[in-house]
Amino acid sequence: MSLHTVMDAALVLILLLGLTMLSAGRLATCIRIFAIQCLVLAFMPLVTEWVHGEGVTRHALVMLLGTISLKVLLIPWVLLRTIRTGEIHREIESFIGFTASVVIGAMLAAGAFAVSARLTVPGDPPSDLLVPVALSTLMIGLLVLVSRTKAITQVLGYLVMENGIYLFGLLLLRQMPILVELGILLDVFVGVFVMAIVVYHIRREFDHMDTHVLEPAKES
Amino acid sequence: MLLAALIVCPLVFSGLCLLLRRGAAWRLFLVAGAALHLAIVLGTWRAPAPFAPDALIGLDAPGHLLLTLVSVLFLAVAIYSVGYHQQALVSQQVACMLAMLCVLSLVCASQHLGLLWVALEAASLTATPLIYFRLGPRSLQATWKFLLMNSVGIALALLGTLALGLSTTPVPGPISLAVGQLTPLAAGLDPVWLRAGFLLALVGFGTKMGLAPLQSWKPDAYGESPPTVAALLAGGMTLGAFLAILRFVQVANAAGQSQFVAFWLIGFGLLSIATAAVFVIGGTDYRRLLAYTSVEHMGVLVLGTGLGVAGSYAAMLHALHNTLNKGVLFLVAGLLWRLYRTNRTGEIRGVLARHPLVGVLLLLGLCATCGLPPFGMFYSELGILLAAAGQGRWWTLALFVLTLGVLFVGLVSAVLPMAFGEPVEVSKRPPQHPAGWGWRRVAMLLPTAALALLALGLGIYQPPAVRDALKSAAATVVASTPSTVAGAAGADLIAEARR
Repeated sequence: MSLHTVMDAALVLILLLGLTMLSAGRLATCIRIFAIQCLVLAFMPLVTEWVHGEGVTRHALVMLLGTISLKVLLIPWVLLRTIRTGEIHREIESFIGFTASVVIGAMLAAGAFAVSARLTVPGDPPSDLLVPVALSTLMIGLLVLVSRTKAITQVLGYLVMENGIYLFGLLLLRQMPILVELGILLDVFVGVFVMAIVVYHIRREFDHMDTHVLEPAKES
Repeated sequence: MLLAALIVCPLVFSGLCLLLRRGAAWRLFLVAGAALHLAIVLGTWRAPAPFAPDALIGLDAPGHLLLTLVSVLFLAVAIYSVGYHQQALVSQQVACMLAMLCVLSLVCASQHLGLLWVALEAASLTATPLIYFRLGPRSLQATWKFLLMNSVGIALALLGTLALGLSTTPVPGPISLAVGQLTPLAAGLDPVWLRAGFLLALVGFGTKMGLAPLQSWKPDAYGESPPTVAALLAGGMTLGAFLAILRFVQVANAAGQSQFVAFWLIGFGLLSIATAAVFVIGGTDYRRLLAYTSVEHMGVLVLGTGLGVAGSYAAMLHALHNTLNKGVLFLVAGLLWRLYRTNRTGEIRGVLARHPLVGVLLLLGLCATCGLPPFGMFYSELGILLAAAGQGRWWTLALFVLTLGVLFVGLVSAVLPMAFGEPVEVSKRPPQHPAGWGWRRVAMLLPTAALALLALGLGIYQPPAVRDALKSAAATVVASTPSTVAGAAGADLIAEARR
């Protein structure tokens, strides 16, 4: 099994996990799927460097550890804690049904593949699937963001979107200083932490986490 | 060295605020942090430090200019906060304000686009607890909207940054995303990815700046946060996002994409001004009106940047006066809130008769924001008009004048009756002045008046040092080589207009 196969398989797995998230009915399941997606994602810099024929660099190792500790462990822990404290409906409520959202997600992915077929990626991308999967993950994240009603699922959508961007960033592994990459990771984590706090306040204030009931406040 | 001190000093005071929570110690830390910051900034003007092209941080002309603006505004807001906030202000919030100053300094100083992104995202995170200040459902809604829209917007900007990075692949050799390293090599960048990156960054950072299609968080956030925070957001944070857009404009212009850049900048600019004009008409909440004028001014900034050297000079001038003006108006809004306990324009009447000083400041702020002479926004908007005429963009010019006219009418008809008009009976709601109202009033009026006088003074007479700073900032953005200060064209036009 060549390294390219490993990379392609991992990318397909990431895309499938994204689609699975669209069909999951429980919040906790969604968060766990997200954690698995991040786990696969965490090894991608390492694999990319192997594909490029470089050894294991310090950069890739630091990113591996950073991603695992923040995205695989801490963020899901914060999110799970947020949904566990207090009485809330654990089911996901959506403006769009689950089947419909999977179909839309698949269509978005197909669109992403069609668009990336026309894009010429300069340099040598580690895998032809990288750009389409990155764009699909981004679009799936956006779909979750706009179609789900709970504040916490919107946070999840934002995170999936961020994962898509992270995949895209693999194309630039050598140009980004490690300081900046860690900064991005830290910003995402603190962002989620702050969002979780706001979600907690929303729940205390309204007894639920629906954001669409917040909306009609007058634009005066 | 000085630069590192600049970024670290507010952070130290922020930490002190968290450690020593006793009583009113936050007042000391806030003002001391802001004053020290301004002192260091003024020191950097005396001894400008050159930096390597691949350095992560360094002060170039636009960054230096905006940093100074942020620092001046922050000091005014800090002094004002001492009078405005009562014990209700918890030290965590002061710590957040100081942390915001720290990350905004980092935004202004960062030369690396990735670092710029990190700092800007951190800035919106520090602002979030400040917006959720009044507690309660409406405030919560505003906070959530701000946080989510800004995070998603800035995620798009990250994608834009990465796309820009991807466009450097054809250039041989290792190249980082530092602006100083990108611009000399810009001609070799891949045009498709460069354009994609620029557009994504414009939309993403534009969301944070409050440009038109994605401006809906702005009235909520500015309306619900305390006026001190709103002033910092409208005068400081938006400048940070503007600077981020300027960096992309700088690279794209150097790559010879100025036609493409100009098209989108003008488009977004006009759309923002028009959107603001639509919402200002019939607005009844004073602070929300101000939020829409902020949308307008952001539109003007972007529009000016799209109109070549002359336009960019005008945009820089506009940025300067926007900061001063938003400071004055939001601080006056805070005074009005303390005096009347309302934000409704309909319930405030006859400020000039009842509280002459506040009334005068309100009128000054109104005149400045409407672009009446002798305030600086008159010259900057005139400069943009002349730049549009100089490029033969008559449609742009016509739309700009039309929307500005609508905005003028909308604003004046809402705010003028507040200043004049019959004072309403306050007997229904006797103003509850907090303890120590006398010195509080002074602490609030002093910085507001100082900002207003500064705006007026810089409108009437522009010292050569200020003009040089504006000129070199504009030249950096457009031509990327300070030698082409044929950018004097813009300055000359404006100087001519003054005569």
